[in-house]
This record gives sequence, structure tokens and C-alpha cells, in this order.
Amino acid sequence: MSAATDRTQATPSGTPLLEVTDLAVEFRTPDGVVRAVDGLSYRVEAGRTLAIVGESGSGKSVSSLAVMGLLPDTARVTRGSVRLGGTDLLTLSRKEHRARCGDQVAMVFQDALAALNPVHTVGYQLTEALRARRGLSRGDARKRAVELLDLVKVPNAKARVKEYPHQFSGGMRQRVMIATALAMDPDVLIADEPTTALDVTVQAQVLRLLAEIQAERHMGLVLITHDLGVVAGVADDVTVMYAGRAVEQAPVVPVYTTPAHPYTRALLRSIPSAAGTGRLPVIPGRPPSPAAMPAGCPFHPRCDAVRDVCRTDVPPRATPAPGRMSACHFASDIMAGREPAPEAGVTASASGGSVPEPKGDPDD
Amino acid sequence: MSEAASAATGNVAGAASRTLASDAWRSLRRRPDVIISGLIITFFVVMAAFPTLFTSVSPRHCVIGDAKIKPQGFGNEFPLGTDSFGCDTLAQLAHGSRPSLLLALVVVGTALVIGVTLGLLAGYYLGWVDFVVSRTVEVFLVIPYLLAAMLLLSLFKNVDLGSGTFTTIMLPAIVLTLFGWMGYARYVRASVLEAKNLDYVTAARALGASDLRIMFRHVLPNAIGPVTALVPTAIAGVIGAEAVLAFLGIGVRPPAISWGIMIENGSSWVLGGYPHMLLVPLAALLATVLSLVVLGDALRDALDPRLSA
Amino acid sequence: MGRYVLRRVAQAVGMLFLVMFVLHLLTTLAIQLNGNPALAFFGDKIPSPAQVAAVEQRFGLDDPCYDQPGNPCLGPFVERLGQYAQGDLGTNLRGREVTDIVASAAPNTLRLFVMVTITWLVLGMVLGSVAARWRGSPSDHGIRLTSVLIDALPVFVLLLVYKEVVTVPLSGWAKETFGEDSWPPYWFKPSFDPEHPWATVAVPGILLGLAGSAAFIRLVRASQLDSYGGDHVRTARSKGLNEGRVVVHHVVRNSSIPVVTAVGLTFAEALSGAVITEGIMNIYGMGGVLWDAVQSSDVGLVLGIVTILTAVTVLVMIVVDIAYAALDPRIRYE
Repeated sequence: MSAATDRTQATPSGTPLLEVTDLAVEFRTPDGVVRAVDGLSYRVEAGRTLAIVGESGSGKSVSSLAVMGLLPDTARVTRGSVRLGGTDLLTLSRKEHRARCGDQVAMVFQDALAALNPVHTVGYQLTEALRARRGLSRGDARKRAVELLDLVKVPNAKARVKEYPHQFSGGMRQRVMIATALAMDPDVLIADEPTTALDVTVQAQVLRLLAEIQAERHMGLVLITHDLGVVAGVADDVTVMYAGRAVEQAPVVPVYTTPAHPYTRALLRSIPSAAGTGRLPVIPGRPPSPAAMPAGCPFHPRCDAVRDVCRTDVPPRATPAPGRMSACHFASDIMAGREPAPEAGVTASASGGSVPEPKGDPDD
Repeated sequence: MSEAASAATGNVAGAASRTLASDAWRSLRRRPDVIISGLIITFFVVMAAFPTLFTSVSPRHCVIGDAKIKPQGFGNEFPLGTDSFGCDTLAQLAHGSRPSLLLALVVVGTALVIGVTLGLLAGYYLGWVDFVVSRTVEVFLVIPYLLAAMLLLSLFKNVDLGSGTFTTIMLPAIVLTLFGWMGYARYVRASVLEAKNLDYVTAARALGASDLRIMFRHVLPNAIGPVTALVPTAIAGVIGAEAVLAFLGIGVRPPAISWGIMIENGSSWVLGGYPHMLLVPLAALLATVLSLVVLGDALRDALDPRLSA
Repeated sequence: MGRYVLRRVAQAVGMLFLVMFVLHLLTTLAIQLNGNPALAFFGDKIPSPAQVAAVEQRFGLDDPCYDQPGNPCLGPFVERLGQYAQGDLGTNLRGREVTDIVASAAPNTLRLFVMVTITWLVLGMVLGSVAARWRGSPSDHGIRLTSVLIDALPVFVLLLVYKEVVTVPLSGWAKETFGEDSWPPYWFKPSFDPEHPWATVAVPGILLGLAGSAAFIRLVRASQLDSYGGDHVRTARSKGLNEGRVVVHHVVRNSSIPVVTAVGLTFAEALSGAVITEGIMNIYGMGGVLWDAVQSSDVGLVLGIVTILTAVTVLVMIVVDIAYAALDPRIRYE
């Protein structure tokens, strides 16, 4: 099955290009086995952007490494499936899995200086996969490398393909990183904190570039970030992750206007705004260590709306509104901006019950 | 006030290096190879310090009629046999350990002082001090130390300095020290550059602590870990070098005795049917060197986590 | 790159000058301290008046500066540099040109170094790569233990034992098994045979290489481990390249940089090892000549050869620096 037929199959709107279901990843550590990702599900459609938001250690990067088959030796996928163009990647051999990477799904890494090989020219790295896997000639590869640099708007592309990564500025290097990922024309692009290492102004440029390319090519884009602020202008859907689980999943606008999880609400409050004058609120405490997960809702020690039930029961995946998911006992209350009733497990039943799939609601 | 504050930062640094040292000690104490190596080294150090504990025979008491006696086992007259001149092998081994180990200790100790001082000055002051030290290090690194030792010691071959333990090792000690300090200087310089920008050092400087105080209280404790790990291996290297120089007749020279001289004398008798003349000093040398290398390897693991990847 | 090479070569010339100067200072000081400049060149030997006169004339020992300890003797130094520049490195005690001796001895030293380098690279790359690839496995631990044991075996001891204990029975066995005129008996010959230079240099070279290989094994392992964990290797994998290509072009290629540097840094040490090897195994190479010169107190010859070998070391360091720049673009453009 070639990439081209995949694409025609996948293009009709509503059919996901990439669909992750109930993914769980464990790490072997000196302190025992810890679960870095626990039951994560999401889907990316052609032409849409999904933002995965979370603090470091929330499992957002680990889950994308699992999709790419790049988990370190100490990690293991224990559950779930990753369907790409109709095939579950996790059932493939390592070699077959690797063969789909770059081709159907590609990844942009965080620190381009480290992620690009310092001893090869930019041109070599841009087209290495094309030459090794599609047998491109040296001359064609050079032409293609220049095209790719032009695509990501690196000025003077013709001369710069002969240069080395350390000769590029941070922003330009990140563009090279993006171009490298685009070389094989992937259907889905996963960008792991692509702008974290950059200046704020450069961040905006790189994000805009990603959005443009995504729209132009009708790709699926997974944007991984810790900064809810950068998501607003770019994403279509948002998945907020906390301690290895998705705590809220929804289209982008309602997430901003009516967050349905206290964690999302707290994240939104901590975004600096131009109008803001007072002190920026911070979320107290730290994310739990995966080795010492609190009982009940993993967020309860830091939650400003915590109730007794949160300390004992893991919240179900509630559907407070069509197309939305929130892993909170009081999802409806939070979404409505109400404080949850003082002490009641009762509210849980009012929140619409649990659903296995984040977007599997029939009302969608 | 500023004195108190800098003393406080000093305590922080001191505490940090103490924890590293005690951590290292704890992990070393648990390794059987380290314990065995430590025991072997202690054994030979005691032998070098008090050779008469091990033998009552003078190493210079040689009766040609007793030459080439094979080892008779402990309790007999010649437990480890005699050499080709009729000297007692055990007595020679015990008394010969002193020049070998003393030379190693003197060379490494002096080289350490020179290297650490120069590295500290170069890394701390940079500028022309650093330029001079770095160029000197490069020049001395380019000259293979054995060649330099061969050249310089050859020039003293006709000079008799006497037969005291210290005078016999003086010349080789000077030459080996001259070509042995560069490694420490480089390591210390690099760690000083790293440590200089640590927050508590900057803080100490801002509070007006003197250069000397900063160097010795704050910067040096950080640099000393990786350098310590080099010491056992360096001692082993000097013991090996002594053997080579003695073999060439330009190191410790007869009538003084050293393991190197015993190896030189014994090597030609192996196939004549007297392997003990070579094997006894060789075994002592190898046991010492191997213990030192094992210890150095363990120290490197314990003190410099970056290297043990 | 061209400018980089030029700059390095210029630095090398400066370095060579400095090294010569340091050697001169140390030699001069030693001669001054010896107390008897002319006799210092003959060690424990009793020279003929003609030999004394030749040495005095050659080294300008009649210059009064040799009687004043601490005097740097710049005059004789300049004169000596002039002689070196004309390719005149003096003679041995029997009047043979040092350059002549070196020219006839150098090929055997080169043979030895070929064997040493092959041993280094083979052992270092193979064992280091295996240890890195299967990190923490029994083979990793075994390789680490081996490298500690190798470290603990001084070259001198290794070769002495080989020569005095191993060679005779082994070459006897080889003669019996393969016949008098076959190759194997030469491999295990306890001394050099100018008729069969490669065969008689092979085993000593391998032993010397073995003695220096521990550092290489550790270095290759450490730098490959760095590379395996490196982000750029993850990127290469994310492009869907097969593992073989990733290992060759991204792991081995990147980790070759520190390995090349190590070859340069280890060269001076290996040269010392070569002197010992050639000395003990009676190989007629530069080290063997030096070894004999020390034992027979021919200090003029010692000085000449030490000078040449030191110059060679400077040369090797420059070659390594340039190779380093060719491998690592970050250096080139600094």
C-alpha cells in the first residue's frame, strides 16, 4: 500500500489519519515499573491540528515516541493501538513500523541543535531518507533539498544546503528540522515542542509556518506543547494531559471559554495576558512522580476544587457536553463555572456518565 | 557580615564535597575488588616502610656459593630462593619495594602539587597565566616522557650520587615529575573553569571573598574529585616506568635494589631453569600495579559520575 | 578548511621550535649539572681523545656557558637549529650519520606502528562497539574487566615475559608443527630478523597494540553510548532509516571524532611503548637504536633520535588535528 493510496483513502473528512486508542506505556526504572502514559486516546484528521498540552513528565512526549516506535529500551507499550492509515502500528515488527515513519508520519523534535547531526550538511540530512529509501540520485537530492529549504522559507536556500546545522540560527535550524520531517511527504506531522527553545518572536514565526504548511498540504498535525498560550491560534482540538492521562479533550474554543477540568482552568489562569496587571496565579505543588501516583484523581493534591471523592475514586471520563471529555468528578460544575457541591459524590452522576471514547458521542 | 556570609557559602561547598566523598567511600567499601586491592597495596606499603618485618637477612649479604637456589618455601633458609649472585630473593624483594614505591609516591605527589597549582592559577586567572601554562602543558605533552627520561638520565650515567635510598631515586624522580604533571594541570584547569561560574562561587566573589579564599574553599574542592581518580593509575605508571629505566641501567642503579633491577637480573635466567628470579619480583610488581589500576577504576566510577556512563 | 590547515601548520612550526627549545634547555641543564660537559656524552664509557674532541666540536661544548649552571646557552642552540635545518643531526660514536641510521631503521618502526594501529582499531572498534551496543550485558562487563586487566599490564612486563618465557617453546612448537622454513616459526622468533621484517615484527606489534588498546575500548564505548542516546540518532530513526544505516552514518561516524583525537594523544605514549618493544625484542627500528644507544652510553645518538622522534610526534599531532577538522565541521569554522 503506497503513501498515495493511503492519502486518498484518508482524506474524506471525519476519517482519522492517526488514531491512538487506550495507549499505555510503562518504564522500567530502578524504583520499579512506572506508568508514563495511561489510557491515552486521540485522533487526528486530515487538515486538522490537535494540540497536546501538559507539563513536562505528563506523558505527552512519551506517547508520541510510542507512535513513532522510538521509545527507549527501558519502555514498553502495554496496552492500546496506534492506527495509521488503517494499520495498527503496534502490531507491526520494529522494522515495518520504522518503515512507516518518515513516510506516513514524521516528527519534528524540540531541540533542533541536538536533533540534527552536527557532522553532516543540512542538505545531506534533508534528503538522507529520500536517497536511502527512494533511491534519489545525488543531483535530484540536491534539487529537492533546495526546494525543501525554500518551502520552510530559509533565505538563500541554494547556498545554505551546503552548510552545517551549527551555522544556522535557532529559528532557522528549527525550520530545517521541519523541512527534514516534510521530506518524505508525511500524512501526519508530530511536532514535539517545536518552539520551546526559541525567542518569543521567532516562536510565532515558526508556529505560523507550521500552520501554513499544514493547511497547504492538508496534513494532520499533532502539536505537543506545555504552553496553552501558543495553542489558541493554531489548534483545532486540544488534549490536556496530566500525569500520563488525558484530563480534558475538546475543540479549541470551548476549552478556552469554558474549561471543564480544574487543571485546564488553572493552566488558563496562568497564561500572562496583555491586559493583566495583578500577580499571575500559579498552580501550587508539583506534578506527581509516576512512581508515587496519589490515590483517586491524580490532580487532587493540587486541585482548588477538591472534594473527598477525589481522594479515593479515579474520576471516570465524563462527557459534560457533546464532543467534549473531562476526567473530573465535577466536570459539569467546572464547565458551568460553579463550585462543586461541598461534599457529594452525587454530582458525578449528573455529569453525563462515562464514555470509553473521547469523541465517540453519538451527538457529535 | 560579608565574612559570615561567605563562610556560610563555604560550608555549603564543603558539605557538597563531603557528601560526594562519603558517597564514594560508601560505594567503594562495598566492592570486594576494592577491598582486596586495598589490602594488597597496604601489604606492600608496609613492606616498603618496614622491610625487616619480612626478612631478617640483609639484601647485600650475598654468598656466591648459595647462588641460584630454587625457592625452598617459608621456614627454610631461602624461602624464595636466591639470585645468580647468591643474594636472598625475599630479602631483595622486601628491601627493593622501598625505592620502587617511594619513587612512585614522590613523583606523583610532587607532580600533583605542581599540576594542581598551575591548573588552578591558569583556570582562575586566565589571560597570560593561562596562555603560558597551556603552552607549557602542550610542549611537555608532545615530548614522550620515556624518551626525555632516556636522554636526560643518560647524561648523568657517569655521575655517582651515592647509595642512600633518596639519592638513588632522586634523578629518576626529577625527570619523571618533570614529565608527569600535565594531566593534573589540564583536569584542574577544566574543572576550575566549570566551577568558577557556579552560583555560590559568584556569590562568594560578590561578597568580597579574596581570590585565595575562593580558590581553596570553593573552586578546588570541586576540582579535586576527578584528579583523585587519576592518582592510583599514575602511581602504577611510575612503578612500571621505574622497571623500564632500571632495566636500561639509568634508573635506580645497583648496588641499590629495586623491583626493576631484580626483573632485569632475573629475566635472563628463566629458560635456564630458574624462573623464580623473574617471577618473584614480577608477581610483586603486577600485584601492586593491578591493585592500583583496579582502585583507580573504582575511584573514577565513584568520584566522576560522568565517566561511568 | 584551507585556512584552517595553514593556521595549524603555522602553529605546528611554533610548537616544534618551543619543543626543541625545551629539549635544549633540559639537555643543557643536565650537561651543566653533570659537571663535565664532554664526558657527559659518554656515560659510563671511557672515550678516546678523538671521540671527546668530536663531541666537543659537534655540540660546541667549549662554549663557556656549559660551565655556568642556569645559563640557557642560546648561542649553541641557534647553531644547533642551523644544523638541524640542514638535515645534520650529528653522528654516533663510530662516526655514522644519525640521519643515515634513522633512514635504515625507520621502515621497521613503521611496520611496528602499522601492526599497533591495526590492533588498536580492531580491538577498540570491535570490543568498544560490542560493549556499547549491548550495554550492561555480560559481554559488556567482560570487556570492561579485560580492559582493566590490560591496563594493569605494563608493556615492558608483557614483552619481557613474552620474550623470556613464551617465545622459545612456542617457536620450537611451530618449527615442529609447520617445518623449519615455514612462516609460523618466524612469528614467534624471540628477536628481529632483517630477512623477515614483517613476520618478526607482527607479534611484538600486536602485543604493544594490545597494551594500549584498553583506553581505546573505553573511549569507543563511551562515545558510542553518547551517540546512541543522542537526539540526532533518534531523528535519524524517525526518518525511517534502517538500523544499519543509522549505526554507520550517525553512531559510528559521530563517535569517530573523539577516537581520532585519542589516536593523536596516545601517539606519544605509543612511541614510548615502541622504544621498549623494539629494545626488548631487538627490532632494528628507531626505538631499538635508541635503546641500544642508551645502554651503550652513546648520548650523541640518543639526542639525535629523541629530537627526530619528538619532531615526528609534533607532525602526527598536526595530522590528527587536520583529520579532526575534516571529521567535525564545528571545528573547521571556528
